[in-house]
Amino acid sequence: MIIRLKDINKTYPGVVPLHVLKDINLDIERGELVAIMGASGSGKSTLLNILGILDNYDSGEYFLDGVLIKDLSENRAAELRNRMIGFVFQSFNLISYKNAVENVALPLFYQGVSRRKRNMLAMEQLERMGLADRAHHLPGELSGGQKQRVAIARSLITNPSIILADEPTGALDSTTSHDVMNLFRELNAEGMTIVIVTHDPGVGAATNRIIRISDGRIVPDEPVIAEQPQIIV
Amino acid sequence: MFDLINEIGQTMRNNKLRTGLTGFAVAWGIFMLIILLGLSRGLMSGFEANSSERNLNSVSVWRGMTSIPYKGYKEGRQIRLKASTVDKLNQSNNKYIGNASAYNYIDSAKVTGPKDYVSNGIEGIAPESQRDQRIKIYAGRFINQADMNNNRKVMVISRKTAKTIFGSDSTEVIGQRVKSLGLAWTIVGLFDREWGEDDNYVPFNTAVALSGGDPSIWSMNVYIENVSDEKTALEAEDAIRGELAKIYDFHPADRSAAPMWNRFTNYLQNKEGMKILDYAVWIIGIFTMLSGIVGVSNIMFVSVRERTHEIGIRRAIGAKRRNILTQIILESVSITTIFGYLGIVMGMIVMQIIAHFFGNGGSGNSPLGNPTVDLSIALKVTLVLIIAGALAGLFPALKATKVKPVEALRDE
Repeated sequence: MIIRLKDINKTYPGVVPLHVLKDINLDIERGELVAIMGASGSGKSTLLNILGILDNYDSGEYFLDGVLIKDLSENRAAELRNRMIGFVFQSFNLISYKNAVENVALPLFYQGVSRRKRNMLAMEQLERMGLADRAHHLPGELSGGQKQRVAIARSLITNPSIILADEPTGALDSTTSHDVMNLFRELNAEGMTIVIVTHDPGVGAATNRIIRISDGRIVPDEPVIAEQPQIIV
Repeated sequence: MFDLINEIGQTMRNNKLRTGLTGFAVAWGIFMLIILLGLSRGLMSGFEANSSERNLNSVSVWRGMTSIPYKGYKEGRQIRLKASTVDKLNQSNNKYIGNASAYNYIDSAKVTGPKDYVSNGIEGIAPESQRDQRIKIYAGRFINQADMNNNRKVMVISRKTAKTIFGSDSTEVIGQRVKSLGLAWTIVGLFDREWGEDDNYVPFNTAVALSGGDPSIWSMNVYIENVSDEKTALEAEDAIRGELAKIYDFHPADRSAAPMWNRFTNYLQNKEGMKILDYAVWIIGIFTMLSGIVGVSNIMFVSVRERTHEIGIRRAIGAKRRNILTQIILESVSITTIFGYLGIVMGMIVMQIIAHFFGNGGSGNSPLGNPTVDLSIALKVTLVLIIAGALAGLFPALKATKVKPVEALRDE
């Protein structure tokens, strides 16, 4: 069990407090490829933030790879994010003045890995993504699909427990989206656990399990593996 | 560390105009500080050079008028200093009183040479007054103690006077005779000075003897010994006044009976003044720099604001607060230090130019001695720069660490 959520509640305080997550219980096994789907405002982004240790929750328990993620100090949270989670964002979130290799290597910078080793590992990841020839280009000189592959390379470089992807195809055209999803499936086939937040049914259909969230609650599971032939690959 | 420097270099290159403008403010502040410090140092070294040419440990005494009734005398009595007082003071064994000397000016005297004559009078002077009067010997020698002891009829004249009365200022003049007060005098030296070229010096004792009896003198100069601070300097004045009070029968506390100018206390006061000037310059300089620093701080705030998103990314992929804090502060320190040094170098160049045209390396009449700034100041300024840069970066950096990755990453 790589992710275990028990009775997670989250309320945003305010004049009218907003109860965004209500008694969420969720288990994700190692090696799964999961989509979290839901309408805008359903709480799926908040759930992703909690899974990514970017946000706190009010009550319940969250275990990530056996570690209880609760009331962590800022530093501990940063360390766990760095070592256990790879993020992929809708808008890529690459640093504009760093070239592809430097962007990919950045998480290792915060682990104190030497520059040479960092860049070597980053090059390996870029080669894996088929971007070796783009290694010294700035993000502005790359296409959307290439940018997202650089971002995926960055998420992989620390060899994390899970990859959390927030609308990874949201800014891409359908062909490129297709390529990115195929990449995720390949990584999953190699054993990587991947959680994708999306509202795109096509993306959801390309995963092995869909977790639907509505009004802060998880809609009971519907196994998709059976009806899902390998149409994408 | 190298990586961090590289990171900073990248962000600075990425924001050339911003970095440049901020840097200019800092460089200007430091430039002004260096110029101010340089000028004040110049004034100070000029002052020190001037001071060292004179004998600091001496007191001048003038004729005065009593202000306290004493021993049956009413106040308002003139005290006329007599030439014999010099000897009496020299015989005193007060620990503060050293050698005393005086001038005796015979203004009616003409000095006649083979070609022409001058009617500037002659001045009786003691050998030790050479330094106080800044008389530079060009040829021959100055009046010496043997001249004094033997009442020799020797004279030291200026090159200008030599040209007038001999038609030449060459060394051949030494040993020649001139006439004055109906007597023959031997020229023993020629002096060179920018002012007071009309003075003709003879031994004090000879001048006194020629005046007949015990002539009154305008002023005398007394060396003081064993003085180290303001207190002992004032005690030395009291000692001299006490001796004079015994000779002339006035109250020992009567300051106006024998007015004095104590070069030593004067020097101490000037020195104190110079110290205050130095502090003032540092304060003004630091406040000038402060405007540059505020600029850096301001620009760092803007930079943090602009880079909220980037900081969010860094935080999401594992940057700790400490990483962000050090990066912003080091960025600020680098901007201040790099441009600060530029300012220092520019300031030093300008000070070298000023030194070349207006300075005098510690001699002559310019109030500027050596207006350059030395290494210890450069080190102090560096320290100030680093502290200032760190302070300028601190608040923006603290703000940067408060960036919440969730909010920063939210797509605009």
